[in-house]
Amino acid sequence: MSLGVKVDLKKRYSEAEIYRKKGIKKAFMLDVSFEMGKELVVLFGPSGSGKTTLFKCISGITEPDSGKITVGNKVYYDKDQKINLPIQKRNLGYVFQNYTLFPHMSVRKNIECGLKGWEKKDREERVMEMLSLLHIEELEMRYPSQLSGGQKQRVALARALAPKPEILLLDEPFSALDMEIRTKLAEKIKALQKKIKIPLLFITHNLEEAFLLSDRILILHGGKIQQFGTPEEIFYHPENRHVAELIGMSNIFDEAEVERYDKESKSIVLKSGDMMIRVSSANFKPGEKVSWGIHPENITLLLPDFGSEDQNENIYSAHITNILNKGPRKRIKLKLLRQNKTLTAEAPAQFVDSVKLHEGSLCLVKLEMSKVVAFRSA
Amino acid sequence: MDKIWFPISLTLWVATISSILVLFSGVTIGYVLARHDFRGKGLAELLVSLPLVLPPTVIGYILVILIGRNGFLGQMIFDVLGKGIMFTWQAAVIAAYTVSLPLMVYTAKAAIEAVDREIEYAAYILGKSELETALQITLPLAKKGILAGLILSFARAVGEFGATLMLAGNIPGKTNTMSISIYSAFQAGNNELAEVLVLILVFISLLTIALTGRFVGKLEV
Repeated sequence: MSLGVKVDLKKRYSEAEIYRKKGIKKAFMLDVSFEMGKELVVLFGPSGSGKTTLFKCISGITEPDSGKITVGNKVYYDKDQKINLPIQKRNLGYVFQNYTLFPHMSVRKNIECGLKGWEKKDREERVMEMLSLLHIEELEMRYPSQLSGGQKQRVALARALAPKPEILLLDEPFSALDMEIRTKLAEKIKALQKKIKIPLLFITHNLEEAFLLSDRILILHGGKIQQFGTPEEIFYHPENRHVAELIGMSNIFDEAEVERYDKESKSIVLKSGDMMIRVSSANFKPGEKVSWGIHPENITLLLPDFGSEDQNENIYSAHITNILNKGPRKRIKLKLLRQNKTLTAEAPAQFVDSVKLHEGSLCLVKLEMSKVVAFRSA
Repeated sequence: MDKIWFPISLTLWVATISSILVLFSGVTIGYVLARHDFRGKGLAELLVSLPLVLPPTVIGYILVILIGRNGFLGQMIFDVLGKGIMFTWQAAVIAAYTVSLPLMVYTAKAAIEAVDREIEYAAYILGKSELETALQITLPLAKKGILAGLILSFARAVGEFGATLMLAGNIPGKTNTMSISIYSAFQAGNNELAEVLVLILVFISLLTIALTGRFVGKLEV
């Protein structure tokens, strides 16, 4: 029997409290179904997509409208069998966005809180174990008000892990921390999860964090799962426009139509306005309407003397309308000469400088067939 | 001297007993109103706040009806104790309790509502029951507000006049609290006694306010 996590639930929810107070009632339907093992899954999606509502349903703070939630061999919730395990009995770890440490208790007391019913000796040992696991031994007797943001976060993690939870839920635990500490803590959490081997769900708004941390990414939008896959799958093969947008694909074009399928090169040819483009994919049939896109860093820039435009090879002539300096990389806006399209490319600054590309330069762009992605429009 | 000391000690006694009762019941009611939704919650809130807006004589009258010999509660008390409690110090406690309860309920409710709900959820998730969470997390975090409510209630009980007069009467050496003694001394033309009691009452009130500032200020969490 698999001891993973199975979630299959529906829950009507409205956006954050602030909106309700303003009298705006935006109701959504969270409708998700997924399974995960002892892995680190990142929940990624815009605000209002239902990420926190999902956490509240799993933890028991909110009751779903219907469905079933099991963690390991424990049924947390089952509408049909009328099971709704009280929060106290679910044995999960939850780290809230704003830490929720108990301000009137020392770090030690905070960590001890979840160890009700343990022998005094075991309890003390467990606290020490947690303190050393997160390298915060020296904070033992301090109070939350005497801790920095990063330290509070570590204490919150130690407190959540102390009772040996069967699943760990982290709701944007780093949102209030600066970049340097964020990266360090993210690495720490990833290593920690490998060590304690429990299912871990992690909410973040930060794309880099999502890719850095996750074994798999679950993309939520409007209460529905848009895609659930490894970072590579999500990044290189977004299934629809929502996913493509969320992962920062800035060149997205709608209303393309599949012209034909080319068996030999296992690719399809799309007609996108006045542009023809070849995409390695076998998922769409001729006549189907699709969207397509390409990541800025996957666009290859070639000097004009390299050759000439060849739509069959996805090579187009363009001129540069704008170059934006992003430090080690440059962001280049391109206008295609013969097609009514603008593209955004990104290239190492060193390359751009060495071939002397500047605003107004003519060049060739190559959209590598294997890097162009076709996906459903919605 | 008894004319001065008795009213002082009786007033402090009545206010203290009333405040202890107000503390426990007021915090409980405040917690329930802050954290639970139930049918008739609006009505409950209305009933609790009624003594704030009703004239003391009306409160006194209602209480007389309730705990007088023929009243619903009065008869129960008579059956249990074998005597009524009208015109005793216990009646003064009931009057003081009734008028100061809303002050406690509302300050406690506001203080409890100000405690982050997520902190309570964090405690539930760590396995603490609602009662444990309330006693170990919520109330300690709301203690400033609760203490402020307690001091307010005490001050209100010390100054209680109208309902006390109707319920406990003005029996010298038995139910004459300070504010009642001031009134009767003034009526009898004994201004000297009235003035001494007024000064002492003002002093007690100032002391309460000073203590509030001191304690509440010190209770930073």
